[in-house]
Amino acid sequence: MVVTSQGKLTTPTTPPSAAVTTTATDLGPTPHARKVRSARKPGRSTPTRSAAARRRDLPAALVLILPAVAGFAVFFAYPTLRGIYLSFTDFHVLTPPQWVGLANFQQMFGDDVFWHSLLVTVYFVALSVSFGTLISLVTAVVLHRVTRSSLLRGVILLPFLISNVIAALVWQWMLDPSLGIVNSVLKHLTGHSILFLGSGGWAIPSLAAISVWKWMGYYALLIFAGLQTIPSTIYEAGRVDGASETQMFRRLTVPLLRPILVMVVVLTVINSFQVFDIVQVTTRGGPANASNVLQMYIYDKAFRQFDFGYAATLSLALFALLITVTFTQLRLARANESDLT
Amino acid sequence: MKRITGVRKTVALGATLTLAAVLSACSNGSSSAGGSKTLNWWTWDDKQAAAYKVCATDFEKANPGVTVKITQYNVADYFTKLTAGFVAGNAPDAFQNSVQYFQAYASQHQLLPLDDFISKDKFDLSRFSVGVNAWKFTDGKQYALPLDWAATGIYYNEDALKKAGYAEKDVDSMTWNPDDGGTLGKMIAHMTIDDKGRRGDEKGFDKSHVKTYGYGEVAAKDFIGQTTWSPLVDTTGWRLGDKSSWPTVFNYDDPQFVKTMHWIRSLTDKGFAPRIGQFTDSVSDVDLLSSGKVAMESAGSWEAATFVKVPGLKVGIAPTPYGPDGKTRAVLSNSNGNNIWAGTKNPDLAWKWVSYMGSEACQSKASQTGTFFPSIPASMDASAKALATKGVDLSVFTDMMKNKVLYPSPVYGNGAALQDALEPLFQAYFAGQKGDSVFTEMQSKSKQLLAKN
Repeated sequence: MVVTSQGKLTTPTTPPSAAVTTTATDLGPTPHARKVRSARKPGRSTPTRSAAARRRDLPAALVLILPAVAGFAVFFAYPTLRGIYLSFTDFHVLTPPQWVGLANFQQMFGDDVFWHSLLVTVYFVALSVSFGTLISLVTAVVLHRVTRSSLLRGVILLPFLISNVIAALVWQWMLDPSLGIVNSVLKHLTGHSILFLGSGGWAIPSLAAISVWKWMGYYALLIFAGLQTIPSTIYEAGRVDGASETQMFRRLTVPLLRPILVMVVVLTVINSFQVFDIVQVTTRGGPANASNVLQMYIYDKAFRQFDFGYAATLSLALFALLITVTFTQLRLARANESDLT
Repeated sequence: MKRITGVRKTVALGATLTLAAVLSACSNGSSSAGGSKTLNWWTWDDKQAAAYKVCATDFEKANPGVTVKITQYNVADYFTKLTAGFVAGNAPDAFQNSVQYFQAYASQHQLLPLDDFISKDKFDLSRFSVGVNAWKFTDGKQYALPLDWAATGIYYNEDALKKAGYAEKDVDSMTWNPDDGGTLGKMIAHMTIDDKGRRGDEKGFDKSHVKTYGYGEVAAKDFIGQTTWSPLVDTTGWRLGDKSSWPTVFNYDDPQFVKTMHWIRSLTDKGFAPRIGQFTDSVSDVDLLSSGKVAMESAGSWEAATFVKVPGLKVGIAPTPYGPDGKTRAVLSNSNGNNIWAGTKNPDLAWKWVSYMGSEACQSKASQTGTFFPSIPASMDASAKALATKGVDLSVFTDMMKNKVLYPSPVYGNGAALQDALEPLFQAYFAGQKGDSVFTEMQSKSKQLLAKN
């Protein structure tokens, strides 16, 4: 409601679109070419460039996009198609793949470990997305409202600079039941230690905590950038109306941040679904499959048991799942609209 | 903007291609160059890699122009690396292999059958006392020469034993049964001490503050139980598979096995042995005993030399206990094999090296370190003698061999899948998340996976 009344404020934040400017300048110098082209193919001609000019640019354009297209074809398209093909085969690397039709899919739907892994993954995603977003948001707002120190902003980002494997190794030591500092403190305070990574109930929450710690700074920085796009006059108006700091956070900051928050949530969801390295380093899916996330299960099937056909089927399932989740999220959250305009 | 992205992609693509070129150049570096030939041999054991260097030097002297390159990779990556090598065509000419992966590699034609070489050289397989049959595949061909054999023993802290009022002969003559644990069970309870100095069989023992456990990590995820439950339950006549070679099912649902598991779980429930997961995987058997966390434990024969060398601690070695009948001991022995890769460019040279490694000359020299027990009896005697002078008494294990206590480990297919399916079930049982229904589940899982050869 406050937002709509800020109409004129938005003008400086959204400069006149680039397309408009080019149209104006381009139309003048090239009237002749436009005349010829538009007579033949009016539907395909654009108001900005003549078709002849476009044709002259074509070889150069092809040369320029060739590396990108080749890279895409070799490193994305071909592996994807091959992966889809392998998911219908029985493939153990050392002998050529054998077509088995839907057998792998049948096996997958009846595979307890797969369904369990899916649940474990969803549990991990839920924990790391909810806590990750919440903690990053609060951190970013505190940074924005309280401090102007760029040193502090840099410090927040530090965990993000460490590689996942190192972070996991260090945390594994800190959480170690007999040597770790966390358990030493716990033992001192409560008399008991907790098997953070060694017990079924604690494994996933511990892993989610490591992941949140690792990524918090990065997402906080993204949200922080979003906060800086909110004009300070909005807060001034809020203060004039007598709104408290928490009210302004709930009524102004969060709604105006929605596009950024949506992006952060989408990123954390994708990121969390792909969790693998910290699991591989710390628990390797154990104990008793308690942290056997889908990626870990796929890895074990492919690179430990060399059942590449079935592993490809599992990957395809994960792929389908991720596409669905991302699409639904973007639809539900109307990410391409901003409340600022 | 578009152009900049394009340029960036080109640069990235170029960088990737260069990287790929560099990598492939690296991997080709070890192949033969000119007149001299390089023979690659891989192992997962760092100590054996060092031990076999002696043989490599002698072999190089006897075969001028040949270089033997011994490479060791950690066991966690070893088989992945090996398979990647098969696919990429740069696997080692010969390598150490475990029976767990024998079927997978043999059935996919990655191993060279040795029968032709054996008959051509009149190589006498009877020189090996153990392990030859473990490397015979379902097609009846011999695919490897056995490299070693292994057994399980009881290692104990001699001071802790004396303080508990036991003598050496008490450990040597222990008995065990699945109902109350026999004299082993009593010793375990008595040797457990809590932080106030109370023993496990005394009043007021506090099981949640244990200083020293009477027994090591028997509640483990290992699905063969080689160094944990296998030497116990085997004394009842129980065996893992329904057949010793290529079994169709593992007998986890057998009442004797189930009773044994109950007894093991009761140890951790009473605080006499560490719970599963209490110590992380990086804590070894040797660490547990030498740090005083554990007073006694069962562990592999390959650790004897390491145990004896622990500074400031006297470690005694005893045989595994007698079974319920008071006179049967049974210990599983597995033999790793020396395979030749089917894709090797120098099969004759590889056989020369493998057969040399399987000779008394090499085995006697390499095994002096005590890190493995050679399959050739004469070499074993030589190695035991050499180690005895260094204070390592292996008589417990050599007696097992002489008294036919040892029986060969089953050869089975689909090892990695079995391991991945069964270990979580053992973990769940020992963590108390699953009850006795788990044993039926294990049995049916094993049947299902063993059938998938």
